[in-house]
Amino acid sequence: MVVIKNNRIRNIIKILIPFVLIPAAVVVGVFVFDDRSYAFISLVVALLSVLLFVAGFEKRRTGTGRMAIVTIMVALTVTGRFVPYFKPVVALTVITGIYLGGEAGFLVGAMAAVISNFYFGQGPWTPFQMLAWGMIGLVAGFMGEVLKKGRIPLAVYGFFSGLFFSFVMDVWTVLWYNKTMDWNLYVEALVTAIPFTAIYVISNVFYLMILKKPIGGKLERICLKYRL
Amino acid sequence: MPAFSDYNPIVVFIYFLTVAGLAMFIMNPVILGISLFGALICFRSRTRGKKDRSSGLFIGLFLLLALLNPLFHHNGATVLFLINDNPITLEALLYGFTSATMVVSVIYWFRSFSLLMTGDRLLYVFGKVSPKFSLMLSMSLRYIPLFATQARKIKASRKALGLWKEDNLWDAVKGGIRGFICLAGWSLENGIITVDSMEARGYGSGKRSFYSRYSFSLWDLGMLILILALTSVVIVSKAMGALDFGFYPRIGGELMTGAAAGAYACYTVLVLLPLGQIIREAGYGREKERKNGNH
Repeated sequence: MVVIKNNRIRNIIKILIPFVLIPAAVVVGVFVFDDRSYAFISLVVALLSVLLFVAGFEKRRTGTGRMAIVTIMVALTVTGRFVPYFKPVVALTVITGIYLGGEAGFLVGAMAAVISNFYFGQGPWTPFQMLAWGMIGLVAGFMGEVLKKGRIPLAVYGFFSGLFFSFVMDVWTVLWYNKTMDWNLYVEALVTAIPFTAIYVISNVFYLMILKKPIGGKLERICLKYRL
Repeated sequence: MPAFSDYNPIVVFIYFLTVAGLAMFIMNPVILGISLFGALICFRSRTRGKKDRSSGLFIGLFLLLALLNPLFHHNGATVLFLINDNPITLEALLYGFTSATMVVSVIYWFRSFSLLMTGDRLLYVFGKVSPKFSLMLSMSLRYIPLFATQARKIKASRKALGLWKEDNLWDAVKGGIRGFICLAGWSLENGIITVDSMEARGYGSGKRSFYSRYSFSLWDLGMLILILALTSVVIVSKAMGALDFGFYPRIGGELMTGAAAGAYACYTVLVLLPLGQIIREAGYGREKERKNGNH
């Protein structure tokens, strides 16, 4: 596998891509499609951010063990989506983020989105789902120490990640339908989505409370046992 | 000429991205009409003989999206009637219909996309971007049926032990979660065996080579060039403003200028590209039927 050993080059790439490619997409969006096409810009930015992360991951040396554990968490997440009344995507993403780090959390969220959409339907919304779930896992990794300790921070995190997912997806819904941001439509989309948002929030908090100890404990134990 | 689904997955992937992408970002009624027409034909040609039960759902979605816009947008010069002192305008209604055409056609393009780009093809495309990500995707895809089987085994053994009750919702949920936790424990230990096996075979010790059954032939190159050429004609005419069409405050812009007609023609050809092989296949099928009939 090609690994960029030189740290400086790697850092330059890391800075260059978000500061050159993403502005380029914005400029193209303004000139080729009329400047009102925020939908194009947001789609390209979402795609590029996911790609950036995946490419960054490619360049890093990850132990085979950690990689396999992440794929298992992805498969568990997708399998969980088929169990009736059981929507543990965010809960498992957050738990992975807490115990295996933010990068693993991002991967579980993003890959669960791609794979479950093989069954539930791919579309232009896939990159946004990848980004939203990925970010939830990434941030959970950053806040790992806090979330590991108490139940209340975990419940609060589950609550806000449910809201976050709904808010991000509705921004995309409005942009796609209307091309520009329209606050009336956005509020309307949020209002119609309230039942779904409520399901997200409740199932996030519920499954985080229930699954954190058994699944987190198993992850911790397996990392200890096999020195991952 | 190879069948459209036999082209290199990268070519097919780029095709769907461009054809759906153009529809998504060009708010021109003619372009969107062509897109919807092509998307429906492409999808129907893929599901020949099968009844599409979901078409009613999409007609409903279309109407909902079309009628939603005039309820929320009141700009536009031609007032049709008033609802609660809010004007419903012709322009907003037409914008709603155009938007709905766009959304439904893109959804249909992606439905054909899902039929043509099966898991292994998508993995091939992803593998070009990041082999590691692609490996992880294919491993997870393999785990899903394995876990489903194991979940059934766990359920059966819990039932045999008398630990399974489905009398009410809460018991069903609790049982499902218990089974899921068992599954998690089993799968993590199982994963370690996979890791040992991978490392014993030398994973990560050198550059990986990987097998793929897709090659990039001259046909693929030709198809790719054709797709990119047709797409760039449409993008250039869009950038030059030939496809601009305004809705507010009045419907404006000429739909049928010379430059626009060129773009429409190119987009129509683009949209019908997957059908080349369908026509050929249909002819082949009829020939076969005739032969079978003679025997």
